[in-house]
Amino acid sequence: MTRKEELKKFNQLIQELKKVALKLNQMSDLVPSIKRNSDRVLASIRMMELNISDLVQVVKQGYPHEK
Amino acid sequence: MPQEREYWNPFMETLPEDEIRSLQLKKFRRIFQWAYDHSRFHRNLYEKAGIRPEDIRSLDDIRHVPTVEKSMMRDIQRKDPFPYGDALCVPLEEVTEFRQTSGTTGQPVYQPDTWVDWEWWSECWAYILWAQGYRPSDRVFIPFGYNVFVAFWAGHYAAEKIGCEVVPGGVLDTKARILKIQELKPTAMMATPTYVLAMADTARNKMGIEPSTLGIQKITCAGEPGASIPSTKRRMEEAWGARVYDHAGATEIGAWSYECKAQPRGLHVNEGFFLVEIIDLETGEPIEEPGRQGKLVITAFDRLAQPCVRFDSKDIIQWSDERCSCGRTFRLIKGGVVGRTDDITKVKGVLLAPSAIEEVVRSIDGLSDEYEVVVDKKGDTDRITLKVELLPGHESDKERIEALLQDQLRLKTNLGYHLEFHEYGTLPRYEVKARRFKDLRKNH
Repeated sequence: MTRKEELKKFNQLIQELKKVALKLNQMSDLVPSIKRNSDRVLASIRMMELNISDLVQVVKQGYPHEK
Repeated sequence: MPQEREYWNPFMETLPEDEIRSLQLKKFRRIFQWAYDHSRFHRNLYEKAGIRPEDIRSLDDIRHVPTVEKSMMRDIQRKDPFPYGDALCVPLEEVTEFRQTSGTTGQPVYQPDTWVDWEWWSECWAYILWAQGYRPSDRVFIPFGYNVFVAFWAGHYAAEKIGCEVVPGGVLDTKARILKIQELKPTAMMATPTYVLAMADTARNKMGIEPSTLGIQKITCAGEPGASIPSTKRRMEEAWGARVYDHAGATEIGAWSYECKAQPRGLHVNEGFFLVEIIDLETGEPIEEPGRQGKLVITAFDRLAQPCVRFDSKDIIQWSDERCSCGRTFRLIKGGVVGRTDDITKVKGVLLAPSAIEEVVRSIDGLSDEYEVVVDKKGDTDRITLKVELLPGHESDKERIEALLQDQLRLKTNLGYHLEFHEYGTLPRYEVKARRFKDLRKNH
């Protein structure tokens, strides 16, 4: 797998995770234990987005030796 | 992807330069739009300057964005929404963290953070600690009383995030902290350079314990430039038998740079999370070439509650022309933060940086770690008094040390000094940040 493909795969899983966490968060207004814990999960997911998702568009292809 | 786990984020930390710059432009545009849309303070500032988010098309365009100074933040705070004022970008109920600056240069500035911001703080620190060799097997001792200041809170959270075991060493005196280290055998420690040396002095001279036998393998410093001053770094490393690493950060900014295990005589800028610009002090033009000092203007790309967009930090830095052997592509600033525009002062017409005096004092065997610099006037002429202590057993060597000190100071700072030798143990000792430089001319 090239670097770009790896990043895309990571990002795909992060977005799936986010979708589930958001759904939990949105349906838990009356359940603070889920609401507040899913807020924290979303904050951690945000860190994964900063580390991975932000790079997907800027990374061109593989490492120089993979080109 | 490289197989080794040398990097906290191997994708980010090895990005080719053109991709780093693309990422920075993309992220600057995002935070600028955020500040423009959510902060009345920033919007007013940008409207007055006639600049809008769509005007940022290249990294060069960023230079037209007005800088923000600490004094501007002081002016807007303590107002609604209390206590942060107009720069707050989120509803107050989303703020989970309060910190404030130390007030060294005036009234403290309050810093709100959401939980996402706080995760981001510890993420920045995770880059630092991983680069310095912290791993889940480490037990980390933090001999510091955390409070309203940000110091070491984020280091603590980041160490936990990495998987280290963290021992909070607040509310203990220095002797009790040494005993706790002896009892628990931590492998790493975080402290200010002043306190790293003070702990070693206490262990050795008041408790008869050689600090290098305590098992600390690495020390991360913050709060002062000492870990990037070679002679101070050497003293700390020799005393503790440990590798000592620097990092730079600030309450209003975040932890923006770090030394790695290769100790490249400089700090890597975390260019995935921050945009560092070095600005010529006189012309205001950006400095791209290595070796020319200027002031740091910095943007934190991902901090949302109170954004940091082109913040004029007043730190003096310079780019290094070296590439680090660690393989990170993040650029290095040479010698860390070498001073602050507030501290660098003209004495007898010559620019004096207090860190240059520290480098000389700590390079001379026979002098203790403590010193004090007082600048005043004798008649119409500036006078610098340097107070130092001889270590016990070096009294007979005073004449040689005095001559060496005077020579080295002249060589490194181009200035002559009035030297005062004080009895060992009589100069002030500090537990956190030292205040060793006093300019009494400002009182005239």
